Amino acid sequence: MPDVSRRSFLKATAWIAGGITIAFSARSIKEKSVSVGPTLEFPNADSGKGWLQVRPDGKVHMLCPRMEMGQNANTGLAQIVAEELNIRVQDITLHYPTTSETAPIGFTAGSLSMMLFSKPVAIAAASMRENLRCRAAKINKISVDEVIDTEGGFVILGSPRIGYQDLVTDESIELDFENSVIPTLYTFDPRRIKKQVGQEAEPRGIKDLVTGAPVFSGDIQLPGMLYGRVIKPPVRKARLKKLNFSTVQNIIGFFDIVRDGDFVGVVCRTPGSLDKVVRSVIIEWELPEPINQEKINQLLDINVALQRGDLPSTLQDENHNPIANWDVDLEFAVQLQTHAMQEPRAAVAHIEKINDIERINIWTGTQDPWAIKRHCADDIGFREDQVEVHPMRMGGGFGGREHYEVEQDAARLALATGLPIKVQWTREDEFRVARNRSPSSHRMRLACDHKGVLSNWWHAYASGYVFYSRSRLPDWLLPFKRSTAGGDFGVSRGAHPAYKSPSIRVEYKEVDLPIDLGVWRSLNGAPNTFVIESTMDELARQKSIDPVRFKLMNIPDSMARLGNCLKRVETIANRKSLPTKSGYGRGFACGVYEKNSFVAVSVDLHIDHEARKICIDRMCCAQDVGMAINPDQLRAQIESNLVWSIGMALMEKVEIGDGQIASNNFHNYMIPRMSDIPSLDIDIIDNPAIHPSGAGEVALIAGSPAIANAIRDATGLRLTRLPIKYTDITALGSL
Amino acid sequence: MVSLLERISDLIFNKPNMNLFVNGTERVVTGVWEEETLLSVLREYFGLIGTRFGCGKGLCGSCTVHVDGEPVRSCITPINNIAGTSVLTIEGLQQDNEKLHPLQQAWIDERVPQCGYCHSGQIMQAWGLLSKTRNPTEEQINTFMDSILCRCGTYDRIKKAILRAAVILQQSSDINA
Repeated sequence: MPDVSRRSFLKATAWIAGGITIAFSARSIKEKSVSVGPTLEFPNADSGKGWLQVRPDGKVHMLCPRMEMGQNANTGLAQIVAEELNIRVQDITLHYPTTSETAPIGFTAGSLSMMLFSKPVAIAAASMRENLRCRAAKINKISVDEVIDTEGGFVILGSPRIGYQDLVTDESIELDFENSVIPTLYTFDPRRIKKQVGQEAEPRGIKDLVTGAPVFSGDIQLPGMLYGRVIKPPVRKARLKKLNFSTVQNIIGFFDIVRDGDFVGVVCRTPGSLDKVVRSVIIEWELPEPINQEKINQLLDINVALQRGDLPSTLQDENHNPIANWDVDLEFAVQLQTHAMQEPRAAVAHIEKINDIERINIWTGTQDPWAIKRHCADDIGFREDQVEVHPMRMGGGFGGREHYEVEQDAARLALATGLPIKVQWTREDEFRVARNRSPSSHRMRLACDHKGVLSNWWHAYASGYVFYSRSRLPDWLLPFKRSTAGGDFGVSRGAHPAYKSPSIRVEYKEVDLPIDLGVWRSLNGAPNTFVIESTMDELARQKSIDPVRFKLMNIPDSMARLGNCLKRVETIANRKSLPTKSGYGRGFACGVYEKNSFVAVSVDLHIDHEARKICIDRMCCAQDVGMAINPDQLRAQIESNLVWSIGMALMEKVEIGDGQIASNNFHNYMIPRMSDIPSLDIDIIDNPAIHPSGAGEVALIAGSPAIANAIRDATGLRLTRLPIKYTDITALGSL
Repeated sequence: MVSLLERISDLIFNKPNMNLFVNGTERVVTGVWEEETLLSVLREYFGLIGTRFGCGKGLCGSCTVHVDGEPVRSCITPINNIAGTSVLTIEGLQQDNEKLHPLQQAWIDERVPQCGYCHSGQIMQAWGLLSKTRNPTEEQINTFMDSILCRCGTYDRIKKAILRAAVILQQSSDINA
């Protein structure tokens, strides 16, 4: 291993002398530097064991198993601990472990936190409670049945209250779960009147967010830290064609350029000098394939694909009749969309040498810190135990922070310079590097009988890959995964019909698009539900049946919770009548996300011809995700999803031009603003007897079709290309 | 961080320092940092990281602070344009150590933040409104706050928090009067 301290000394010397060095990192940076897959160590019944402690002062400490990005999952889990241990959620001390402090925990994605972690956490806390109860019984020489719960401890008839602090000593005891019976879980007892679960607990850490505390990775400051940036190509795997940095040495604050193959990194003494240096570097890339919108449209064209016969993947195929007498036959185009999380990614990396062994510390906001650890070790030639990742709060995730990326920039530059490096991606970097939600092209045909009972269903679509898109897996693994994984479940998400029909065909084609794609909130759940709910609405209107009645008629008994959401949202919507003036409309849509999360949304809107705008006036939502652990935070997630659905339906589109992603900041990628937000009426359907399912990406799926259906109601126009613009209405309809 | 060398060179060449007041305290900016934006100086030179970087082009408002009482986008404000001014950041909003500013408290009471990244900017912009318009209409809030983006979509709660803080500020000014 090279001597980092010597190198850093040399770098420092060169700088003091006013010189410039061009550093090629001593260790060659490996080409294969992409992730091999996410961390999938999800908890079993025993996993919560390592996450809880009752300390000698009686205080409960919890090690947070989830990464925070605004979903406040750890607050919900702490509520469960509080319920089981009869304490207040605010009295639990939360710890956020580094990757060295705990065994790997599955990545924070897919709205799985409550679904997969609530029970292990409840089991751990309840086992802790029962162990403490046994101790109290033993000390008082009575049976455990006589030890009754009270806040923060127990009571025994005729004795003073026993607090947890009276039962815990300095001796460290680990409970053995393997052989113990699972105790009663208060959280999952529907008869129990709960004090913590089901309450609107304040999100933990909220004060830090309103006072500007250092909680994000870019907030980390280390002594002697410099600022680094890697110049990003328009797509991954672009080759460096031309590089000229002859003018950078005159820029005040310039420190170094690190180049290794196609990797070009700049290190400066201030963020501003970094901007100047990067601007003065002349760089040209050779793209593996040209990128343009026409090419993408051709690759995705669903009619061209269907002309060649059946599509390669079939999700459902029962009694299909391609020559059925279709009542509606619509084509849809869903746009390329990006995460645009508020915080452009940032990471700080620092290599230190302790007892002759190098260790790298990385501070980063990531959905998968253990993957970062593995991939960093692989990338810079360290052993995994030489890498420690300090997970920071994410300023938004939405599926866009699962990979070793900004961390790679920081780690490589820290390695090359031997100094602590902060890499703060610019907004332009973020747009350029994002693994966006694929565009898709759909054709959907439906038929029903004269009463409105569905008879034939045919949904065919083409989409770029989601999980198996380019650069999400190493080149050697990608073709294998694509051919053996049994379909990209990101592509098929949301395409299963929630309605019954005697004849159904759902088929799709995964397309290898020449742009970087990946996981986005709901995966293809929102695009597929947009298509299904728009077509169902259109069929109802063509048959002169009320769309809500029509859908309820075709929802099977097994989807009663979905029907319930739809009925509920209709009731809420009807509390206010729609203005009878022309240009006003109301639309409904519903959907199921990942089998167990049910939602229905209504939208009231009007077309403002003066402002040349589609104005959303009101959105109502009824959602059933089983037990509501924190109703206020469920509501917050719904609000967020509804706002996203406005962006998806009316605003957002990543533009492609000039061989690259053209959208690069918020002036050419529009997201919803305060004035775009309607009044919101949200109803949480609490089902305490049903295990909680995900809520982070549910309402989004029904929001955009409800908007399209409301536009149909207001204008008579069925708009099938997202995002829908005011000019689409004036182009198609009369004013 | 300022190097010793920079300090010595400034002394030798008797270069005038660039001063400004940050949250009521006079601060000096020297050397290479004089070429930076206000955001860069606040975060990386003074360590006041409460002001966040969002877009670098003044388009999202996460970096909003006050300069001489007016909300500005610190990411596009060159530090050498604002010598001698008074800068207020989220860290300086709370005047009383024990008690949060009414806007910060309202933000907690309405449970506004999700990821939380934009809220320093949101709160500073909201203070730009409430410090002049104590009783804003919803329309005024919409107009004034429209330039500050929140990707999590917490706008409904932001609006409620501003209205809540307005009531509290109104009450406290009634008491003071």
